[in-house]
Order: sequence, then C-alpha cells, then structure tokens
Amino acid sequence: MKFNLFRAADGTEGGGSPVGPPVIAAPPVVHGSAPMGPTKIAARDVSVSYSGKQALYDVTLDIPDKTVTALIGPSGCGKSTFLRTMNRMNDTIPGCKVTGRIDMDGEDINAKSVDPVLLRARVGMVFQKPNPFPKTIYENVAYGPRIHGLAASKSELDSVVEASLKRAGLWEEVADRLHSPGTGLSGGQQQRLVIARAIAVEPEVILMDEPCSALDPIATAKIEELIDELRERYCIVIVTHSMAQAARVSQRTAFFHMGRLVETGDTEDIFTNPRERRTLDYITGRFG
Amino acid sequence: MTETPVTSEMRANRLRAGLKRRYAREGRFKLYGLLAIGVAVGFLLLLLGRIIEQGHTAFYTHTVTVPVYMDPARVDRAYPQGTNFELLVAEQQLARMGIADDAQGTKAAELRGLFSSELKFAAAERIQNNPNLIGQTVPIAAPLSDDADLYFKHEISLDTPADQRRLSDEQIGWLDRMQASGQVAAHFNTGLFTKGDSTEPELAGVLGAVVGSALMLLVTAFIAIPLGVGAALYLEEFAPRNRLTDLIEVNINNLAAVPSIIYGLLGLALFINWMHLPRASPLVGGLVLALMALPTIIIATRSSLKAVPPSIREAALAMGASKTQTVFQHTLPLAMPGVMTGAIISMAHALGETAPLLLIGMVSFIPGIPASLGEPTGALPSLIYIWENASERAFHERTAAAILVLLAFMIVMNAAAIFLRRRFERRW
Repeated sequence: MKFNLFRAADGTEGGGSPVGPPVIAAPPVVHGSAPMGPTKIAARDVSVSYSGKQALYDVTLDIPDKTVTALIGPSGCGKSTFLRTMNRMNDTIPGCKVTGRIDMDGEDINAKSVDPVLLRARVGMVFQKPNPFPKTIYENVAYGPRIHGLAASKSELDSVVEASLKRAGLWEEVADRLHSPGTGLSGGQQQRLVIARAIAVEPEVILMDEPCSALDPIATAKIEELIDELRERYCIVIVTHSMAQAARVSQRTAFFHMGRLVETGDTEDIFTNPRERRTLDYITGRFG
Repeated sequence: MTETPVTSEMRANRLRAGLKRRYAREGRFKLYGLLAIGVAVGFLLLLLGRIIEQGHTAFYTHTVTVPVYMDPARVDRAYPQGTNFELLVAEQQLARMGIADDAQGTKAAELRGLFSSELKFAAAERIQNNPNLIGQTVPIAAPLSDDADLYFKHEISLDTPADQRRLSDEQIGWLDRMQASGQVAAHFNTGLFTKGDSTEPELAGVLGAVVGSALMLLVTAFIAIPLGVGAALYLEEFAPRNRLTDLIEVNINNLAAVPSIIYGLLGLALFINWMHLPRASPLVGGLVLALMALPTIIIATRSSLKAVPPSIREAALAMGASKTQTVFQHTLPLAMPGVMTGAIISMAHALGETAPLLLIGMVSFIPGIPASLGEPTGALPSLIYIWENASERAFHERTAAAILVLLAFMIVMNAAAIFLRRRFERRW
C-alpha cells in the first residue's frame, strides 16, 4: 500500500480552527458531494473519572459526519476513555463517572431518556483485539439485527449478512464457509468480521479502538482501506497509536495528552503545522 | 584497586555452571512430582485392591435346588403361604440323604438353617400360581443361607475349631453331599442389584439404596443447580460491588467449609421438625444435600464466569445487547463447561455424604425400594454404614460390594461431567 502520509483533505471546513467550541451549525452537506459532513457528535466539557481518579479533563470536541476522526496521543492520555463515552461503554465500568455533555445529532446521549442499548445500536464499536463471538461467521454478523429485531425474515437476514460482509470486504473470503466458526479466521479476517458485525445494524457512528494494533501490516492495510471506504457512509472515530495510520486514514485529528485535548484540526494541518509544542514533540517522536 | 577483567571465557564458564544447577533443580522438582504421584497412585491402588479383594465374593452367590414333593396332606391349597415348607423340604432332603432324625426334629432344624427363607416364599409362590402342582414333585431353587454360602466361598473352613464356627461338622457334611449331588450351583448374585435391604445377608441388595441415592441426587440437582447458578450469575454479573456483596461472598466461602453434619442438624431441625417433611425420605435427603452443594456450585460457577474473557462481554454490550442478553447469550454459554463440572463434582460429593443422612433418619433399617420422594429410603453411604456395623459376617463382603457400587456410581457421574464438558466446550 502506498504510504500516503498527507492525504489531501478536500474538506470544506477551514483548516486549523483553534481549540475551542467550533461551529455547531455547520451547513448540511449533501452525501457524496463532499467527504466531510456536518457535526455528528459534539462533546462539551467532558470529564471522566474512575473511582475518583480523573482520566479526562473538560474535553470539547466536534466530530463531523462522513469523516474519519483520529484520536492520537501517548498511552494513558484518555483517548480510549473519550472514545468509550460516545457509546456509553463507560457505564459498564463500576465507579466510572462521566460529566459534561455529549450531543449526537443535537440530542444529549447521556439524557435519562436515552437508552444505552439503543444508543449502541446507533454507535457501533470495534475493539483492539478482534473479539468475534464463538459462533459461526453467519451468527456473528446476524447477531445485531437479530437482537434489535431488524430483519423480518430469514431471507432478509441473509441479505443483511451478505451485504455487511461485502461492505467489510470479507464476503469473497468466507462466502463458502458462513457456518464455520468465526474464531477460526485469521486475526485480520476476524477484525473485518467484527466490523461487518458492527455495520450489520446500520449504525451511524463507528468507534474503533486501535483496530489494527494486533494485526500484521498486510491485514492492517486491508482494514485501513476498509475504513476509507466506510467513511462514505459513516462517522468514524478511530483511536490509534500509529501516527502514520492517523495520517493515512483520517481527515480530522485530535491530539490528547495527560487527559486533556491538546489540539484538534484537519489531519494535514496537525501533521504539517501543529500549533502546540506538545503536538509537534509527539508527532515527531520526541515522546510518547 | 583494580579488578580482573571478566573474560568471555569466564562468563561462559559461569553460565555453564549456573545452567547445570538450574537443570539439577528442574530434575529434582520433576522427581518430587513423580514421587508424589507415585505415592498417591499407590494408596489408591491399595484402597481399591483391598475393597475389591473383600467385595468380589459378594458378586456371586450359591443357590440350592431341591425337589419338593408337594404333599397334599401338608400343603394348604387355599393358603400356601401358611405351609411350613422349610420343615417339609428339610425332612424330605434328610430322607433323600438317608439320615434319620430324632424325635425332636433337631437335624431337620439344623438342615433348615442352611436354606434361606426365600425357599419358603418360592415354594408358596409356585403353589399360588398353579395349585395343580400339589401332589407332584417340583424342583425349587433358592439361595443358600449366608453361612452356607460363606462355606462354599471358603470363608468358613473345617480347620477352624467346631465351637468357633457357625456351621457344625454335620452341616458341612450335608453341604458337601448336596454339592456332590449337583444341587448347589454358583452364579452371579443378581439379587444384590435387584433387591432392597434385608436383615438376612443372602437376601440383601443395594437397589433400594441406589434408587434412594438417585432420587436424592435428582432433588439436589433440581434445587441446587438452578439456585446456585442463579445466585452466582446475580452476584457476579448484576450485583453492585459493595460491603453487602463482599459479606455475602465471604459467607458463601465459609459455608462451603461447614462440616456436613451441621447441615444434617439443620435439615433435621428445619425440614423434619419444623416443616414436618417425611423422615428419611429422598425429599429431605435431597434438600439437605442441596444446602450442602449450593456454596460449592456458587463458587465454581462464579469462577468460571470470571474466566470468560471480558472482550466477549464488551463485544455483546457494544452491539447493543442488554445486560441480560449478554449474560445469557454469551457469558453463561461460555462458562457452561465450568458450571457443569462444578455442579457434577458437587453432586458426586453429595452422593458420598453420610453424616447428614444419618441425622435425618437414614440410619434405620429400611427394606423397601422407594417409589416416591416421600417414602423412607436408604442411601448408598448410609447402607454402607449400616452393613459395616452388622454382626453377620456375610455383610462384610457386601459392604465392600456396596462401596464398589458407590464408586461405580461416582465414576459414571464423573464420566458424565467430562462428556458434558467436552460437549459444551467452545473455543474463543
């Protein structure tokens, strides 16, 4: 794969807007005409603490639709914690407290009226380690539509499974063994299976927590290509340790350090012209 | 001060010396392990060998077949059970052997003692079924008495002084003659597996106890497994982590270590004295054993739930599965092999429990085979206890046989555990 560190960001938004409350009421962008959509998720002063130990301080960040937003930063900087606030996975951790406001399409996802189960149907997640269920490939992909009652018939479910596997670029490889265990696939295939599982419920947002860190370069390249394709339909947020990967797949980048959001902007600007000293030090490998 | 520089040769020598020590340590450790296993296997073989040596004779028994002339003068057509078949048979057998009895019938009485009481019932049953046999000579087969059986098993021998053995020289002579005439046959002791307990060893079987134990285990399984797995699921997956749940956890661990006799007392007070459930019934036994098995099942289930990788839980939750869906569709199925093993091992443990059963009344002699959960019953461990304490010598070999039956029962259960484990095991 071509190493394209500085992908041309042909977004409409002005590059390098300073850290702070960005424009929420961005003009709606017609699908396909421009890659970067309107703000999908707006985080305001989000802080997270685990049993009193604060992990995230007042993060304010806008995440545009139909865009890949990369969250980068050294280990323990809070980027994964922030990612998990967006589908309320932190709810499952005892002692975890989230403050601030996160709006998705203008609606507070932490509101009492929002059921985390329904929220997670809208916000899919892919984890660091491929975690397919110990079931067949078919069952893995069909799981989401099944529990949410999205497919009315067996044939409908079949077509959802096929479409999802195709979109995840896995169909060719598994079409003849849909009913063999998903855990028998290679690591890269498993990760694409997990992505297929996530997109089978037609989410609006896909969160990826270092999806390639357990994969070899070839599998990584495949996942990155897939992310690039998925960008046309979904709002993607990816946590990554690899600066090269952030540069390759994302249009927007947010740099976290010590639980704070240091800098955010178009990926191209962050990598060529960071405003913060710490960002420069990190992306040039002086720490992290 | 100068230090001699460490040459690469010196380093290599040090490494070699260290390596030798490390290998020696490893070798010693392996040797200790082998020794420990050797000792364990040795004791196991000793125990098994001793039980088999003692018990194998109980699996065959001797039957005597006597031709009985159904004397119309003595057999009661209307009520054959009232006939003194034992005396009839003894007198006829004496006559056949050409032995004259005295006026008191001493010899007939002594000969009667060689037959089991089964002879009388067998003869009466034949007449009952076909009264036309009266007046004919009918061969009747029945077990020999326990002492006669022991003689043929060489447990009683003529070498022992006559006043120290249970058979007189004369009785032994008769037995030899009956054997010589082909009346005595050795065969597999089916009665041991088809009969309930009896005061007479030759008629005693383990079936009542086996059925009683099986019914008890059924009650235990139906109560302890759902309750234990449910409690473990709640504590592990749903309960908030706080002082109260910590306290409950500590208490469950303590309960697992409470001596079983305490559970027996609890069962006696709670189920029999307070709830007035039938004494010595499989229901009460099963309930007491369920109380005992609960902590073990909870602990085993919790640890196998803990062993399910969190990534699977996260995957399900992130897919929008509810907590309950996550637990029942993913966590529990993956924990199932461990749950099954824990449950069956605790059942096997419950099967061998004796003390609580004795306290709830199973120490008494219960000859019947239970047909319902409310009837009094024996259980294998309590039967072993009762037989071991019996005075008849023939019960001793049967005790060992009952132990072998109990062990076989346990082996079957453990094999089932392994089978279920394989069945439910899924890789991830």
